[in-house]
Amino acid sequence: MGLRLLRKILVPFAAIVVAASMATLLMGRSHVASPTSTPSPSQFSLTAAGSASRKAQLQTGYQLFQVHCSFCHGTRADGSTGIAPNLQGLGPGVVQLWLRTGWMPLKTPGAQPDNKPPAFNDTQIREIALWVASLKKGGVPFPPKLHLNKANVAQGFSLFTLNCAPCHTITGAGDALADGYHAPPLKAVTRHEVYEAVRSGPQNMPQFGPKNITPAQLRDIIKYVVKYIKHPVSPGGISLGGVGPVAEGFVGLFIGVGGCLLAAYWVGDRTERGSEEDQGSGEGPAGEREASHA
Amino acid sequence: MIDNLYQWTDKRLNISGGSRKLLNKIFPDHWSFMLGEIALYSFVVLVATGIFLTLYFVPSQHEIVYHGPYLPLDGQRVSEAYASTIRLSFQVRAGLLMRQMHHWAANIFVGSIVVHMCRVFFTGGFRRPREFNWIIGVNLLILAIFNGFLGYSLPDDLVSGTGIRIAFSILESLPLVGSYLAVWLFGGNFPGTAIIPRFFIIHVLILPAIIAGLIGAHLFLLVKQKHTQFKGSGATEENVVGAPMYPNFIAKTQGFLFLVTAVTALLAAVVQINPIWQYGPYKPYKVSYAVQPDWYMGWLDGALRVMPSWEIVFPGHMIPNAFFPGILLPGLTFTILMLWPIIEARITKDDVEHHILEEPRNNPLRTAFGAAVLAFYFVLFGASATDVLANYLSVSLNTVLVTFRVLVIAVPLVVFPITYKICVELQHQHRPSKTKRHNIVVRSPEGGYSTIEVKPRPGDERTHLPPIPVDAMVLVGPRTAQAADGASPTNGTDGGRVRGIFKIPRTYR
Ligand code: HEC
Ligand code: HEC
Ligand code: HEM
Repeated sequence: MGLRLLRKILVPFAAIVVAASMATLLMGRSHVASPTSTPSPSQFSLTAAGSASRKAQLQTGYQLFQVHCSFCHGTRADGSTGIAPNLQGLGPGVVQLWLRTGWMPLKTPGAQPDNKPPAFNDTQIREIALWVASLKKGGVPFPPKLHLNKANVAQGFSLFTLNCAPCHTITGAGDALADGYHAPPLKAVTRHEVYEAVRSGPQNMPQFGPKNITPAQLRDIIKYVVKYIKHPVSPGGISLGGVGPVAEGFVGLFIGVGGCLLAAYWVGDRTERGSEEDQGSGEGPAGEREASHA
Repeated sequence: MIDNLYQWTDKRLNISGGSRKLLNKIFPDHWSFMLGEIALYSFVVLVATGIFLTLYFVPSQHEIVYHGPYLPLDGQRVSEAYASTIRLSFQVRAGLLMRQMHHWAANIFVGSIVVHMCRVFFTGGFRRPREFNWIIGVNLLILAIFNGFLGYSLPDDLVSGTGIRIAFSILESLPLVGSYLAVWLFGGNFPGTAIIPRFFIIHVLILPAIIAGLIGAHLFLLVKQKHTQFKGSGATEENVVGAPMYPNFIAKTQGFLFLVTAVTALLAAVVQINPIWQYGPYKPYKVSYAVQPDWYMGWLDGALRVMPSWEIVFPGHMIPNAFFPGILLPGLTFTILMLWPIIEARITKDDVEHHILEEPRNNPLRTAFGAAVLAFYFVLFGASATDVLANYLSVSLNTVLVTFRVLVIAVPLVVFPITYKICVELQHQHRPSKTKRHNIVVRSPEGGYSTIEVKPRPGDERTHLPPIPVDAMVLVGPRTAQAADGASPTNGTDGGRVRGIFKIPRTYR
């Protein structure tokens, strides 16, 4: 009996030791690992491409627009077709955002444009944007150089919670809004997209001018988004997509309770073998034992 | 020396007399009897980790400026409760592990209570004489859910703060007394500064004490009334078959405590739960989309979402929309749940004591009903994720909402007949016995093959018990003649003394 009994206690005890040491190993990782975000060079290479002169850029932009966009937006980007809005005066930043997110050129009019891989490379996008901007002044400019070193993420977090979380959720996982619209996830956006989106307010998103969100505040928000929304600090382990308690509930039920059920199944039906031996010493069924001492 | 000490204490406290009975208590062998223990041990884990958390948690809504290693919060004004939970997560050694263990254990606690309750429900374990223990169990479930909600609210983060706000408006929606009650509980209007300290005391002291007391009563009744059991292996209405408390069950259950702790610790080490630093502090004017409560409150949240916006106006008084899903639904749910043993006895006119469990298939009506009800709540839980689903499936939120309104009614209606049919089909199925008997195949000199039946291996003899006669199973009163001598009607058939089987007469004190 002794050995069996010992094993019964020892095996699960070993399990707990293994679990605990795994826990310390996993939790031992540096707590607030600040996600390093070295800006990729491509984000800054938006300045005029190589040797092409401004005129040549406008020329290619014009050509690309006529081929890919004009049948919806009109040859002068004025929305004269009635299918698509007027682009004149929106500014190059807006055009760049809509092209880099892959929202344009649109495949199926009507629905909210989906995020797709962009149809053009960065140079072409810039050329198209320049040409559209050349038609009429104003609107959202190309993003300036965004120096984030001095930006304050705490300020950014607070502003993000106040202005952006109502739609994009607090973790930036994105969410469905009413009437079939959805706020896209912000996990993969670049600093320029955030700038352009905030300043232009695509579709259902409100437009935040410099009076609502000052340039410094915008830099704070951008720093928070590209650092902490993109790479959430998750010292606790697998982060379950940042969608919150529903995912946690499923894990808790299926893995937590499920794991315990397996454990119950494992130990639950095991008494018989142990009891054979124990029976050897005590004479007679336990019922008699209980009766005699009662 | 130790022996003497033992003798000395025993003479005075009579430990061995009482404990001998306890030590010989018989536990059935079926694994499904361990489900309640999952709940018991996750409660142990909750208390242990909870005490740790209490050492560092500051239950105060007083605002301070946070300074610490998590930069996005550095310099923000947050409540002390929030700041201390952040400190627990980032600075206190093993603090995050404890927080996550506590939270996962809470999920497992409520989950295992539900699973345990399903076992009791579907096998009819709540029938006479165990109605009381069922009612205690339902109360434990309610308190566990409630305490989970309170704990979830303690860190005072954006997500849980939104939950408290919803709770406040649900409370307000109570006819007549609602607004007074809400203001009284919150010590003023929402959010105030009193709610976290109040929740804290209820969460760490009052409810755990009540829960522990009820668990004690639950187990006391269990020992007094003895376990139910499945039929087979010599089990009858008159006895309890299984392993005695000491040494078998003690060993088993001790190991099981470790296993439940291990599962919780593993989960807490590997999967992150409730990363409140990502949510930020609660500010009444800030909202985030996609906030849900923990799953055990999720069905209520789902009900709030799918409820069409009806408002019933009585002369002079209006019942707000939140009343139906927020108060009427849980009220009805738990009342019916609690009274179920009585309701069922009324319907079936079955007023006899039962100690042998029913196989769910043998009571298809109850099984189908239970499955349909479970399906109903599961759909409601799903409905608490309408926005997440709409986002993932890229369909309109309104479409998802309407779909759930239909599903909430349709799914139970579909589940009921299907479960019923499955049960009836299963009744006709022959079940193979559990242990295999080995056969010896021999080859004769002529080349023919034949098998020789062999005697079962030691310990396996009782695998082919004749079925217990039906008339012996049902409708035996507690004090029949057979019970008196401790023999069951089938005693003769399994060949006298059998190893590993214990029988004791049920006595009613
Ligand atoms: C199939 C027709 C179609 C094509 C092709 C198309 N667009 Fe669009 N575009 C639309 C529609 C429709 C909208 C309005 C979308 C909305 O608001 O949901 C739009 C919106 C835009 C906007 C945003 C306007 C605003 O008010 O913010 C920009 C910028 C834009 N398109 C640029 C382009 C460019 C550049 C191209 C070519 C690469 C292009 N589009 C090709 C149909 C089209
Ligand atoms: C009223 C809801 C709403 C609010 C508030 C809002 N957004 Fe948006 N946002 C949207 C919607 C809707 C889109 C998608 C537009 C589209 O698909 O054309 C979007 C798109 C974006 C995008 C582009 C996403 C991509 O896939 O490239 C960024 C970046 C963005 N938002 C950032 C922000 C930031 C930063 C804030 C806070 C200052 C904010 N949003 C506030 C609704 C909102
Ligand atoms: C009935 C059992 C219990 C349940 C269901 C439960 C549930 C919870 C939950 C879900 C949380 C939120 C944890 C988080 O931040 O992610 C919590 C927090 C907390 N619990 Fe419990 N708990 C229980 C018992 C206890 C006990 C017995 C104590 C103390 C003795 C305790 C102390 C605490 C403290 C101090 C917190 C706040 C710290 C924090 O949020 O990390 N709990 N509880």
